[in-house]
Amino acid sequence: MDSVKKSWVFRITIAWFALIAFFAIFGPWLPLPKWDQVFDDALSVTPFKQGHILGTDSNGYDIFSGVVYGARISLFISFTAVFVGGTIGSAIGITAAYVRGKFDYVVSTLFNVVLSIPNLVLSLALIAVLATNVDPNVPTSTGRRIMVLVISLTIVIIPILGRIARAATLSWSNREFVLAARSMGSNDRNIIWRHIVPNVLPAIFAVAFLAIGVVIVAEASLSLLGAGVPDGTSWGSMVARGRNDIEFAPHIIIIPLVCIAFTVIACNYIGDVIRKQLDQRQAKL
Amino acid sequence: MTSMLKLENLEISFATNRGSLHAVKGVSLDIDAGESIGIVGESGSGKTVLSRASMGLLAPTATRTGTVTFDGKEISSLSREEVRETWGTGMAMIFQDPMTALNPVRRIGPQIMEGLTVRLGMSKADARKRAIELLGRVRIPDPEQALNKFPGQLSGGMRQRVMIAIALACNPKLLFADEPTTALDVTVQAQILQLLSELRKELNMSMVLVTHDLGVVAGHTDKIAVMYAGEVVEYATTKDLFARMRMPYTEALMKSIPRLSTPSGSRLPVIEGRLPDPTKPEPGCLFASRCPYAQEKCHTQHPDLTTDSDGHQYRCFFPLGAAQ
Repeated sequence: MDSVKKSWVFRITIAWFALIAFFAIFGPWLPLPKWDQVFDDALSVTPFKQGHILGTDSNGYDIFSGVVYGARISLFISFTAVFVGGTIGSAIGITAAYVRGKFDYVVSTLFNVVLSIPNLVLSLALIAVLATNVDPNVPTSTGRRIMVLVISLTIVIIPILGRIARAATLSWSNREFVLAARSMGSNDRNIIWRHIVPNVLPAIFAVAFLAIGVVIVAEASLSLLGAGVPDGTSWGSMVARGRNDIEFAPHIIIIPLVCIAFTVIACNYIGDVIRKQLDQRQAKL
Repeated sequence: MTSMLKLENLEISFATNRGSLHAVKGVSLDIDAGESIGIVGESGSGKTVLSRASMGLLAPTATRTGTVTFDGKEISSLSREEVRETWGTGMAMIFQDPMTALNPVRRIGPQIMEGLTVRLGMSKADARKRAIELLGRVRIPDPEQALNKFPGQLSGGMRQRVMIAIALACNPKLLFADEPTTALDVTVQAQILQLLSELRKELNMSMVLVTHDLGVVAGHTDKIAVMYAGEVVEYATTKDLFARMRMPYTEALMKSIPRLSTPSGSRLPVIEGRLPDPTKPEPGCLFASRCPYAQEKCHTQHPDLTTDSDGHQYRCFFPLGAAQ
């Protein structure tokens, strides 16, 4: 672990997380123009010109503000979806693997069914159903759109992490120390919470970080398809707005893309570090 | 003396891809209160399955016939909950491998206290006191500190002591020690066995000591059952068994123990051949193919367990020491 902590990749990753977390939490209180403030006199300004650190887009929006506010929505959506989906999925997966039998059969079949539908198609379909008003002329509120986005991505995450939790529980619950705990009269509640969950958790965390990356990309893709956050800003919707200007003002699209890429890579890297720690620990057993 | 554990005609088989695997075949044993019995046999002879079955700890894929009576209660007639009631306080088990039988991510303390709080309903503080006392009893230096250690921070011998402490936590009446010393080196082995013997006398426990090493059981048991391919092939008091072994298999086991008097560089005696395939029943004596004394009859007829005048049981047509 110490050698990992000292590596510069690890430090950059942590620094990047700290930076976007800072943006996400304190963004609205930073001395920046509002993300939707229009600078009529500065359309498609390149970075570092006319007082705009990262320039403006073709509508005259400040890109740095967009990145800061976008971090808030992108991270909120992805962390919430993974946290809620991971919690529900792990609970179902661990229970299924522990009780086995019919319940396990039903659960793993359902997981497989959901996993067989491509993420994007599934969340698009859910958004189409959940975020549409009966009267098509009444627009859906942003709050509701975000809620629906989170719910649909949560549903995508549940089987991904549920399956991992189930597999890990299957292997850990056959370990001798679980049998030993049982043989001294421990009850199921204790065995699950004290013996299985602490051992299964690292595996879930490793995959959860990978899942955060998946969700950030999924959210961005949905925005690009017009099913994301309508009148707010997320990194994905910045890409969506700037896609027409790619020829003459590529920075508009490159900057949010770089944010997405960095965050996804950082998440994957953290997931990898956790997995490595896990492997090493298991090798020691 | 009252009977603590009585096995009658216990048969255990597992369903496998290659058909039914008969792991334990018609075993009957009787263990009195305070008595210590050794179950000896090579790997795969059904020792572990037998002890786990006695506790009711087998996987649901196993089928069991015959009866297991613990402290006057027939185990298979009890509900899952009632069987659980006997675990810890009635029967407890020390597992084979102290490396895998402790949860690697929990400290020693909570692992010992778990049984005390769950089974005996002790308060955390009381359980802690008892855990310290138990660790002291199994001679772990500085027990209070040891409570906060993870299993990975202890040596194999220490972990085995922790396992013993866990098994003894709820004062069981019957202790199964499933190869408690196989994972340990010889000096520690002797210490652990000595410790188990002392604790057993002190707490007046019955003990089932499962091992593949005749040397291990010699000084620490009252009776010995030798198992081969799922059957009990010889059953006698320890004294009697070592004085007059009747079964060629027991003799072969005895010969395969390395001795200091063997000249260095010479090959250790082994029992040639291997255990019969447990999925394919054979008509004759199961040991016949490896037995130096085997005769025609041994390959065609299955010997029954014979009891001689002083209660020494064996399963052989041509027992050692009998007039040929």
